[in-house]
Amino acid sequence: MPAATPDPSELRTVTLTLEYPYTRTTGPVMGPFLTALRDGKIIATRIGTRVICPPLEYDPATGATVDPDFVEVGPSGTVGAWTWVAEPTPKHPFDHPFAFALITLDGADTALVHAVDAGAPEAMATGMRVTARFGDDRKGAITDVWFVPGARAQAARPLAEPPGEPVAITEHLISLVVSEPLYPHRARFARGLLDGRIIGQRSPVSAKVYVPSNGYDNLERVEMTDADDVEVSDRGSVSSFTVITPVQYYGQRETEPYIRASILLDGANSPITGVDIRDLPVDQFRVGMRVQAVWKPAAERDVSDIGNRFGAAWEGVIERWQPTGEPDADPRPLQEFAF
Amino acid sequence: LSPANRQNRGARDVAVVAVSQTPSYAQFNDSEPKLIMRCVTDLLDRTGLDRDDLQFTIAGSCDYLSGMPFAFVSNIDGVGAWPPVYESHVEMDGAWALFEAWIRLQLGDVDTALVIGSGKSSPGRPREVFPLQTDPYVMAPLGLDPVSLAGIQARAVIDAGLASEQAFAEVVARNRHDAVANPNAQMSGDVTVDDLLAQPYLSTPLRAHDCPPVSDGAAALILAAGNRARDLAERPVWIRGLDHRMDSHHPGLRDLTESASAATAAVNAGVADGAVDVAELMVTFSHEEGILRRALMLGDDTVVNPSGGPLVGHPVMATGLIRVIEVARRIAAGDADRGVAHASSGALLQQNLVCVLEGSA
Repeated sequence: MPAATPDPSELRTVTLTLEYPYTRTTGPVMGPFLTALRDGKIIATRIGTRVICPPLEYDPATGATVDPDFVEVGPSGTVGAWTWVAEPTPKHPFDHPFAFALITLDGADTALVHAVDAGAPEAMATGMRVTARFGDDRKGAITDVWFVPGARAQAARPLAEPPGEPVAITEHLISLVVSEPLYPHRARFARGLLDGRIIGQRSPVSAKVYVPSNGYDNLERVEMTDADDVEVSDRGSVSSFTVITPVQYYGQRETEPYIRASILLDGANSPITGVDIRDLPVDQFRVGMRVQAVWKPAAERDVSDIGNRFGAAWEGVIERWQPTGEPDADPRPLQEFAF
Repeated sequence: LSPANRQNRGARDVAVVAVSQTPSYAQFNDSEPKLIMRCVTDLLDRTGLDRDDLQFTIAGSCDYLSGMPFAFVSNIDGVGAWPPVYESHVEMDGAWALFEAWIRLQLGDVDTALVIGSGKSSPGRPREVFPLQTDPYVMAPLGLDPVSLAGIQARAVIDAGLASEQAFAEVVARNRHDAVANPNAQMSGDVTVDDLLAQPYLSTPLRAHDCPPVSDGAAALILAAGNRARDLAERPVWIRGLDHRMDSHHPGLRDLTESASAATAAVNAGVADGAVDVAELMVTFSHEEGILRRALMLGDDTVVNPSGGPLVGHPVMATGLIRVIEVARRIAAGDADRGVAHASSGALLQQNLVCVLEGSA
């Protein structure tokens, strides 16, 4: 029986934060530039007849590598084009309105884009003078400095700790928030799990049953609707598995080896994948083994980890998978469902 | 023609023979592969081709927008997962996928190609995603987003006496008016310049309506070479020139009041070799229209962005390909004989692609 069309309130918003920690080497020009910022100074490179800031490893006219010839510039400069940022994003240097501006520092021939903490847009004008301000907790990054209107220089305060080695590496944690409603077919799947039922979809062209469904049959290139929903069994055969020995990369929470299995549920033509197996000994786990879901009590089932993207968050509704005691399924045809 | 220019005209005649696009949605509450599937199915229905007849497939999309590593792999579900396709991908707008497909067809061993562009910006926060394409040492850590950078460029244009806030609003009003006739537009209707100028600034001198909407959508087209194109379309739309160029990613090293790379691409693609009946320009901020008109040397007799352009619908990664589709559609229908499509990538019109399209054989 198809699951009922979900109540609109079940089309809840799912939010995920995607993070990548990037580390980058700084090289022979950006390294000294960032080190100088940490020291409370701004440096540029002389390339041909021009002084370029931010400095470059190459001649922008030809692309040819140039030996760095550093010169100190600023701390004051002149604003070229600018904009008043009325609604700062969480990634901006200030949480209050400010200006981004092209600033040609005294002694430089090219402009740097940076932030001016001017208070109000009326304080900004093309051609105005601005001067650098340095933070007290400088890390060797472009965010160690910002600008204020006027020409009054203010030396950077010494760092609390001695700065140590020149800046050779930068770290930049990319953190993006993605937020969207649960797609209708995912919402019906989640509703089914709360009811202790596994809902897939039968292709209207090939009659193959996909679980959980993507909302389409990618072999026949056809979309599916709630009319294609079908319930499949909560028991099936292990079609593949891997034992993962965790490496402690960023975000890894596992410490001990664990099994991730694919299971071809009875009545389905696609395996469920990434199933977390904790209670069965690694050395007895095998392809063909017959297993069955042991559901959590209805009141404890939680589908809040189900999003639109990977997997099905079985752990929120299923306590564990236990052997049924049936004879093993023939492993050979299961090779077709290895992933 | 110089050797460089010949290279941008193509040794082999290649034409757009069918086009498709989804509407530009403020929020499409289903997956990106489904958007692509709708375009691919539509194209096959229109041409009577089987999927096997498409000898090369290439898509442009952005995993950072999708918020999912390898999202471009599941996008291929929209093309159909079996039999396997000879597939390529660019982490760029579909217009650059078109460029690669056009180059691929020049090799002569395949005659048809499917080109796709797709993106869903609604789940993410575009102003936080796009700073990641700027310089990782001196720009990205400041969160320099497209809206702020566009504000700086718009100010530069005004300071140089090349445009005004009024001129920006006129672009928006014209785009929204033209979009009434575009069923795929996300926003349309008649607005007065005075009403637009009464709105608050988002990033001076730009207001929210000077910036593109957040959109979800997909677009696709089929390219065919030589006689295969003549078999497949009553009036094939021939690609007569195609080039893309780029400027420095450091705004301080550029004259922001112009787009040198767009001008070079336009010369190499041969924009000025004939009359331009229609041009679809990737104007994602209203001040860019003037910069691009000057760079492409378009005269007043060229109709610019009759679809309403990206300011009425901006499905990132499809927006540039849609410019090609909107020009090709008009030529195929006989409403125009020769047109120009422009796509842009990166902040401040950093990278630009220009495609010259013609109806005559």
